[in-house]
Amino acid sequence: MSTQATAATGLREPQLTDEDRARSHDRSRVHHARKHKRRWHLMWLLVGPGILAMLGENDGPSMIAYASDGAQYGLGFFVPFIPILFAMAYVCQEMCMRVGAVTHRGYGELVLQRYGRVWGWFGAGDLTLTNLVTLIAEFVAIRVGLAYFHLGSGVAVVLGLALVVFTLSGGRYWRWERIVLGLAAFNGLFLLAAILVKPDVGSIAGSFDFTPFPGGGFNTLLLLLASTIGATVTPWMIFFQQSASADKGMTPSDVAHGRYDTALGAVLAAIFGIGALVAGAALLPHHGSGIQGFAGAGFPEALKHVAGGAAGTVFALGLIEAGAVAILTISASTAYAAGECIGASHSFNSSPRGAAVFYAANIGVALLAAVVILIPGAPLLSIALNANVLATVLLPVSLVLMVMLANDKGLMGPWANKRSTNAIGIAVIAFVGICGAAYGIDSFLQSVHLIGS
Amino acid sequence: MKVNAGAPATDAAIAEQDLQAQERAEDQLIMHLERDQFVAETSRAVPRAALSTRTTAALWALRVFVVLVSLMVIYTFFEQLH
Repeated sequence: MSTQATAATGLREPQLTDEDRARSHDRSRVHHARKHKRRWHLMWLLVGPGILAMLGENDGPSMIAYASDGAQYGLGFFVPFIPILFAMAYVCQEMCMRVGAVTHRGYGELVLQRYGRVWGWFGAGDLTLTNLVTLIAEFVAIRVGLAYFHLGSGVAVVLGLALVVFTLSGGRYWRWERIVLGLAAFNGLFLLAAILVKPDVGSIAGSFDFTPFPGGGFNTLLLLLASTIGATVTPWMIFFQQSASADKGMTPSDVAHGRYDTALGAVLAAIFGIGALVAGAALLPHHGSGIQGFAGAGFPEALKHVAGGAAGTVFALGLIEAGAVAILTISASTAYAAGECIGASHSFNSSPRGAAVFYAANIGVALLAAVVILIPGAPLLSIALNANVLATVLLPVSLVLMVMLANDKGLMGPWANKRSTNAIGIAVIAFVGICGAAYGIDSFLQSVHLIGS
Repeated sequence: MKVNAGAPATDAAIAEQDLQAQERAEDQLIMHLERDQFVAETSRAVPRAALSTRTTAALWALRVFVVLVSLMVIYTFFEQLH
């Protein structure tokens, strides 16, 4: 209900907080653009959470995973599989955006209030675990990129933490979002890297028939599926996009633009992901499977030898960007979840004094991950490789609760899911659940020697 | 010495105008937000949904399954370290 209607019905206006004032200022520009039918300006004002969720998920481990897939198995199977996964991600993220825009509340607080504290805290626990592991992997990815320029872990830590503090310093959601969007645009470096390796366009087009199918054992195939799914849909994206949509001040009248934003993010992420795959595939004829993506300068160094210094440099810069953007978005999702579950203020539009838990969680989780990568002998390679798999395994519960929220007529009214959305959503959950569980169970049975590898 | 007798009255008028302008600006700001977007509104909890026994049981089954598989993945992770 708009406040004009409120005045008409004689209800008392609520007291304005600084958070309200900042959000209202942003909304006034949206109203102005809509009133004057400035379509592109309106689009510019309303894009953000969808693109950031999708390009944030094109993070360091994901891009290294795509490049590893290309280096080990070539283009076949993955070129069509990546867009399918981002289409799945679109279905999930559209629901998050819609629930955030209609209810003006984040995922964590809605689950906690609507379905009980147990489910809210379980979700927050899953998120904290997967976010911490993923953030460690992001710092590792930045370190890989920096190693190409002969810079060490210390620089990766300082760079990552400085970015988190800098983006938080403005006390405005709009400022934070625009800075991170500007950084995320450099995810396109992976497309540039793909162009620089001079791929055979015919072979890219020809790989859309899912052939050749990756070879190797059943467990390898499951690992590929689980890690590639984990590179596209993750718990943090759900928390982030719903909370960011609410923090941005989106309303039901912005749902159409929210869909464009999410779809644009999915398309860009799929193109840039395929870019990393194509760049990695340049290493296939040069024994690419032997390259350890997270060790030393890994891929950038290998690309330099195969495709020239420019390709290596662009790929290294891409890894630094991918890790940096993901550190910002994943830390933000942790901060939103912490504030929502504790019941404290949770907005970029609040001052650090007014939202101490939010700001502390944002910096704290990044700091914790940064400390881990400085520990001598920490199993960073294994952590980075398992980050996506763990996210895939824990994802089904978050997705089920997301579908329940999007179907909740008491919350969503006419914006609740349609049958077709539910059918696709349930198929996505089943696919993610089966792939994650199959890999987890098969790997466990192998490690306890109950089945052979 | 000249004394501007009208000054206090003018100051009061200016202060009144400032206050009115501030109130108008505040009203303008309020008009750009939906009522349920205000922090005062979002701070209120939404009512708890009544989940059926079947739904609750299904959620718990999924939760236990996911925790078990996660433990398997974590176990495998530590196994691989050795």
